[in-house]
Amino acid sequence: MAGTPVTLKGGSLAGALEAQRERLLPCVHCGFCLPACPTYNRLGDENDSPRGRLHLMLAVVEGRLDPSSDAFQTHLDRCLGCRACETVCPSGVEYGTLLELARETATEARRPDVFSRALLTVMGSRALRALFFLGGRFMRVTGLANVAVRRLSGDGIAGKLRFALAMLSATEEAGLERHGRASGSGAWVSAADDGSSLTPSPPVGSAGVLHGCVQDGLYARINEATARTLDANGFDVRVVTRQDCCGALHAHGGDLTTARRLALRNIEAFERVGVDWVVVNAAGCGAAMKEYGVLFEGDAMEERARAFSDKVRDISELLVSAGPRVGAPVECSVAYDHPCHLMHAQGVTAEPLQVLNAVPGVDVRVVAKADECCGGAGIYGMTHPDLGARIGGDKVAAVRDTGADLACTPNPGCMMQIGAGLRMEGASGEVVHPIELLDQSYQRAGYYT
Amino acid sequence: MTQTLVPTVADRLRAIVGSDHVITQPDRLVAYESDGLTAYRVAPRAVVLPETTEQVSKVLEVLHGEGIDVIPRGAGTGLSGGALPSSDGVIVGTARMNRILSIDDQNRLATVQPGVINARLTKATEPYGLYYAPDPASQSACTLGGNVAENSGGPHCLKYGVTSRYVTGLTVVMADGEVVRFGGAGLEAAAGLDLVGLFVGSEGCFGIATEIEVRLLPKAEGVRTLLGLFDTMAAAGHAVTDIISSGLMPAAVEIVDHATIVAVEASVFAAGYPTDAGAALVIEFDGTEAGLDDDANRAEQCCLAAGAIEVRRAASEEERIGLWKGRKKAFGAMGRIAPDLLVQDATVPRTRLPEVLARITEIGEEYGLNIANVFHAGDGNLHPNILFDRQNQDELERVERASREIMTLCVSVGGTITGEHGVGIDKRGYMPLVHNEVELEMLRRARWVFDPGGNLNPGKVVQ
Repeated sequence: MAGTPVTLKGGSLAGALEAQRERLLPCVHCGFCLPACPTYNRLGDENDSPRGRLHLMLAVVEGRLDPSSDAFQTHLDRCLGCRACETVCPSGVEYGTLLELARETATEARRPDVFSRALLTVMGSRALRALFFLGGRFMRVTGLANVAVRRLSGDGIAGKLRFALAMLSATEEAGLERHGRASGSGAWVSAADDGSSLTPSPPVGSAGVLHGCVQDGLYARINEATARTLDANGFDVRVVTRQDCCGALHAHGGDLTTARRLALRNIEAFERVGVDWVVVNAAGCGAAMKEYGVLFEGDAMEERARAFSDKVRDISELLVSAGPRVGAPVECSVAYDHPCHLMHAQGVTAEPLQVLNAVPGVDVRVVAKADECCGGAGIYGMTHPDLGARIGGDKVAAVRDTGADLACTPNPGCMMQIGAGLRMEGASGEVVHPIELLDQSYQRAGYYT
Repeated sequence: MTQTLVPTVADRLRAIVGSDHVITQPDRLVAYESDGLTAYRVAPRAVVLPETTEQVSKVLEVLHGEGIDVIPRGAGTGLSGGALPSSDGVIVGTARMNRILSIDDQNRLATVQPGVINARLTKATEPYGLYYAPDPASQSACTLGGNVAENSGGPHCLKYGVTSRYVTGLTVVMADGEVVRFGGAGLEAAAGLDLVGLFVGSEGCFGIATEIEVRLLPKAEGVRTLLGLFDTMAAAGHAVTDIISSGLMPAAVEIVDHATIVAVEASVFAAGYPTDAGAALVIEFDGTEAGLDDDANRAEQCCLAAGAIEVRRAASEEERIGLWKGRKKAFGAMGRIAPDLLVQDATVPRTRLPEVLARITEIGEEYGLNIANVFHAGDGNLHPNILFDRQNQDELERVERASREIMTLCVSVGGTITGEHGVGIDKRGYMPLVHNEVELEMLRRARWVFDPGGNLNPGKVVQ
């Protein structure tokens, strides 16, 4: 009954969440978050709503729910971590932070499945990661991934493998070269009559680019494009060595210890070079790095982490602050989708669209319900195949409804999820990061010569 | 202690709605132990989530046959504990009944399932130039089924009236699973007694509405929104009285006090109210363009004459939405000030507002409680927000005593114990303040007509 502590099956209550009671209290149970939640909208079970999950966390803190219970394990695991609930929460509940702490409590009470553990181990180690992505690139370049997507079928292991390979195959570079160069003669020159597009602005600071894990392994071209477009907009781009994975995947999975270890490495690496801005082109990584201060709350590192977080910017934020310069036309239509970790976690919505506006000839079509998660959420499609497929299927349908040539979204996880969904339906499934389009536009404009 | 459901009953329910949509494990029932009123917590025996009228009918038939109590639940945003479970009851939730069944733009009617969110209906009817008028502060989350049960109001009900004015037809599943239809096709009271009118506001005690036909309104041609800033609540209260008595017909007049302004401005929905103001009035006029500016000017004069420090006008639709957001999200924003919150709801004659507000402030001081006020000033519908911490047992008791005193005060000046949140569990004890024994007995008998066994939402409204 109300407020009566129960004896826990799993021994003592894990401390991580308990220490965060203050963070749970702002929730007044108003329910405004329910309609924003992709899992609640599809399942209708309040345990699968943000309010319900917060209530489960509170019940654990109050000692009346066992963190190893099916309710706590299942419903926290089922959260996508999209943080759409934070955008609509009038009380400012820090759901994302609470979720990470709750997952740490959950994983202490019950070990996560071997697949998730293996993935976090691989991403947390430079050597294993290099090997893993080398294999990935081999599968991609030989076309084995594509063949497998076409040949494999069914549910269970084969279905999961097919989805994983579709995600891999979705990382293929889109053929931007083939898209038209000009709608009319000199159209892009006229767009730059004020001269702003022809000369870079005065130096606007030094910037170091986060390479990331998936970005570095499968999307190196986006990291290169990030550096080039920054340079073309007057930033002094410095190489930052000895950086590492941002730790977002580990934090989301409840492994806060590894997340802090990786964060520390990045803080040290960027401090060593001494840049004004830490530039991130992956929404998930940017959100995590802007919250390094929270990750180290109460630790001796906290102040340093906060100072670091203050320098973190999404590539679109930085480019918009400097212009960006307008490039040459790339005639194509794109279906744009907001990554949750840009829109909901960082509050960045207009900037990526402003970056696309700097590319003449691009017809940007924002997909319906662009504020809802695509279902990517790390490897959700493999850990929750049924629900993941429903959420992903709705997003793919919305993308296809635009009739655009390409899908476009500034986060590797979303690019892979949407690309995989399109490919599994037999569509071409080309997905680009806005920076790739800007980069193509700058190449055509001759800014790199 | 919550009783578990007999396995055979649970199996029969699963056979009707599917195994994923019957929740019986005690750990998973924790999430359902409160609605928007968190002062009470009781876990139900089970939660059933049907999808169609037929499923609701079969579910209620089974539960009725077993003599098990039923607690209907929409989005669980209610503030009077109307969806609070009983430990021997089963929640029948409408979360999955979220389809808009039809929009008839010619006749300006829509038919929806009860789980459709209020704001979603307005969004869906926008392409036809129509909207659904009742706009509870929780309209982004609350459902039409819940609106019907509570006869919900909202800021614009000052001019447009509450839910009962818009519901024209209902398909209702009775306690024993029988399906009946009231009204329909816009003719709610055409034949016989007005059962639609009786059902709306029945707080889940008469049946579960599974199809709701509502009237839609054409969107107003123009709108003017003003923000009046005052040093004191009393000055703002005088401005309200002056505006209404001058013959103006605002669509909404909302008042927000200092404590609320501070909370809202600290939240993500900051509306740009100056945090040093003692009170703010949000005044809105809508209708045909001609005359709107005159109305707004006259209201501005009323504010200035009552001592307003400043009167602002929303210059764009964006500014208007931002201004309203600050008012509509006030409840959630209170979470920033205190761990728990009790949103009271009472109505007083408009002319008595200044003295009642002053007295509520005194009551807060007497009991050592912080009370923030945000409410529908135009129709005298008060929402004192009492801030507390449930861990403090002494404070919890003071909240209850202060609540009772506020209710007694409102009744003593000719008001009543609720404006729009319903009686639920929270106001049940105050019913004798406004009803004598004969009236209470009439309420019980009306309930008996619909639910002779007393299985639907027992313990709510009247005992």
